[in-house]
Amino acid sequence: MGNFKRLLTFVAVAAATSMTSSNLKADSSLQDGTIGYVITDLFWSVYQTEGAKQECPRGFNDGPREQFAKLYPNYEDMTVEETQLRQEIQTWHPTTEPDDFEFLAVEGDISWGLNLDGKTAPNDFTHPDGTPGVDNEVYRSVGCIIGFRGPDGVEYIFQNKAIVDERYNRMMIELSDVDSLENDDSVTITMSRGMDRLLTDATGAQVMAGGTQRVDTRWGKSLIRQMQGSIKDSVLTTEPIDDLIIPWMNLGVPSIHLIRDMRLQLTLTQDSASGVLAGYADVETWYKQLIRNDSTHHLSNGQISGISLYKALRKFADAYPNPESGENTAISTSLDVKLTQVFITH
Amino acid sequence: MKYWSNTARKTKPQLFGLTLLLTAAVGSLSFAEDNSITLKENFRDIPTPPEFHVEATLLDGPVFANKNGKTLYKWSQHKLRNGYSGEAAGTPQCYDNVLTVTAGLMSPYPAGIKLPELDSRVSCTDLWPPVLAGDNADPVGDWTIVERLDGSKQWAFDEHPLYTSVRDRSPGDVLGGTTRRFGGDSPAKRTPIGPPTLLPPGFAVRSTFIGRLLATDKNNSVYSFDQDTATSTACTQECLNKWQPVLAPSLARAQGEWSILERSPGVKQWVFRDKPLYTYALDQRSWGLRGTDVSGWKNVFTQVAPPLPDSFTTQATIQGNVLADANGKTIYIYNCGEDSIDQLSCNHPETTQVYRLAMCGAGDPEKCLTHWPYVQAQANEKAPSESLWAIVFIDPKTGRFASPGQADALRVWAYRDRPVYLYGDDKLSGDVHGGGIGEWRGQRNGLRAIWLRDDYMSGIL
Repeated sequence: MGNFKRLLTFVAVAAATSMTSSNLKADSSLQDGTIGYVITDLFWSVYQTEGAKQECPRGFNDGPREQFAKLYPNYEDMTVEETQLRQEIQTWHPTTEPDDFEFLAVEGDISWGLNLDGKTAPNDFTHPDGTPGVDNEVYRSVGCIIGFRGPDGVEYIFQNKAIVDERYNRMMIELSDVDSLENDDSVTITMSRGMDRLLTDATGAQVMAGGTQRVDTRWGKSLIRQMQGSIKDSVLTTEPIDDLIIPWMNLGVPSIHLIRDMRLQLTLTQDSASGVLAGYADVETWYKQLIRNDSTHHLSNGQISGISLYKALRKFADAYPNPESGENTAISTSLDVKLTQVFITH
Repeated sequence: MKYWSNTARKTKPQLFGLTLLLTAAVGSLSFAEDNSITLKENFRDIPTPPEFHVEATLLDGPVFANKNGKTLYKWSQHKLRNGYSGEAAGTPQCYDNVLTVTAGLMSPYPAGIKLPELDSRVSCTDLWPPVLAGDNADPVGDWTIVERLDGSKQWAFDEHPLYTSVRDRSPGDVLGGTTRRFGGDSPAKRTPIGPPTLLPPGFAVRSTFIGRLLATDKNNSVYSFDQDTATSTACTQECLNKWQPVLAPSLARAQGEWSILERSPGVKQWVFRDKPLYTYALDQRSWGLRGTDVSGWKNVFTQVAPPLPDSFTTQATIQGNVLADANGKTIYIYNCGEDSIDQLSCNHPETTQVYRLAMCGAGDPEKCLTHWPYVQAQANEKAPSESLWAIVFIDPKTGRFASPGQADALRVWAYRDRPVYLYGDDKLSGDVHGGGIGEWRGQRNGLRAIWLRDDYMSGIL
């Protein structure tokens, strides 16, 4: 057999093997029109450039440690009530009154996220792919705070660690009525919480496809949501639902986020999915999650001043006005999300 | 010294001689079906000086006490964020000097800030009198004598200097501290000391809110099956896929409440209080409770928690089951510890209220009553007997105990002598938005919920 024939034979066998493997794989993941995924990464979408030069040209915000040093240079002449507790009171009883520090918000015009309101307004961001009208005011608030920036920010690290380590926040999506993972104009998506550990490789660090999860219909019953969506060129886009409660835990304190008008945009494969979860975050819930999960010490490690950040969140809030005061109670946001295929048992 | 002693020495006459069977349902409000029967834990007799004895407690297992029945405490060294507090072995650190500045042990706040209410501040020994040894006292076994700075002698156990608590009033009280674990960011707490629990090798016991939970020494909870007896097991074949018998060594022998079932030739299984013991393969964390969701299976406790007030309820949340008031609102405990070298607690109505008032109402007592309302006792409601729960009168303007006959005093529930609270932003049954509110995730100046069942964050421990 000549080299060319050998090559043809090899290619033919390899292709056949590949197709067989692919078909088997397809069969093993998409079963009876259903496929499940479990969330393995979830964090606020923060568009970052080299050295933060575009989005934070004036640098990063001070945290509690820096603010304390500036506010109380003579702390040894002062009492706990005049210093430490004064700061903690402002943290736990926040107001929109200005503090003594200029807040450095994102100044760039590019952001990850989605156009939530269908409009293109002057304050909207532009997606890196050029799509205008992106609503992501949480990014405007946290983008110049070190703790929210990857890969070393304290919030970024703890949240993405907790989502793998803990089961409290084991959120999953299950697609049903699926004809094809490439194109399908009508699929049903159910979000729920799983009960089980993630299947990982031998290191324990890499989550593997093919694990199983039971649905938490007891403690997690109130977390279950269902929505409709479509798949085009392997991208799932869902209709917004009224709200999603995201169980959120790090450092041992279980808390939640409340996302209104929540929708998903995910690129699907047989083994994984990735994209964004977007909507309007309830500001008070967002802030309380942060300060309940992280003490002032932890916030200090990320130079996160809860006192200053609360004022920014309220300032940039852009939806769900309070019927009495007119002040917005929710803020547009986007979370980067990665998921791994999992068999969901009912 | 008798290793396998089953001779629990109890000082409360009504508790003498109780041999109780028992495993307890988790999540039930009636941990002991008959309030007249309180399950107690047997312990190992160890050599002890004559001036000390063992007292039974309601939730902390057996503890050592002095002649007046006062529980003995140690103050173990505890690693905090910026250094250590507590006592190194053999080295008393609790004295009668009144501290005036913070220690800076918990970042981000520096050391050297003036502590609150210095004019009325007490010393460490005002709250924790050292257990002094007489001139003729002799060390015995694990009991030794250490010297204080003034030359006086102080008893120590396992090299930890010993103290009593001014909070304890009656024999068996453990109001100064508990044997429950506390987290790394909690203050360096005082904990009661006691004799070792009478357990075979391979087992461990921990204090939880719902009782003294039994587990293997690998931290796997152990369970019993209703259909089993001391001499027979109904868990065979497929049952064994999920329920793994806790095996006993071939030379193990029955002692006291512990016996052995030979479930097949040469295969021995530990039996406690007439129930063979198992671990549950689907328990996904240490000291788990998931096995109790399977019909007929129960966690095993050496001692169950005393009864709760009748009006309290259990509420399901997305984290598990939480203790709630009659209206279904989650009940919280207030934790507080100062950032001082002596780590004095500030969670009691007789301690400074500065910290609590800052957290609950930005210093305003009126706001506190809205943000952290007290759990008020219902009219004619009485505290259960033999309970850690009591009804106390609180001055709403100060947060301190009310004066006798004070007209505006609030009649509120207290756990271990400290009032408990609701959280104003909890609107619905099952809301737990107050958990972790306050400094250091509620561990040093804030609220923690009371968990009855938790599969996620070791909340009952």
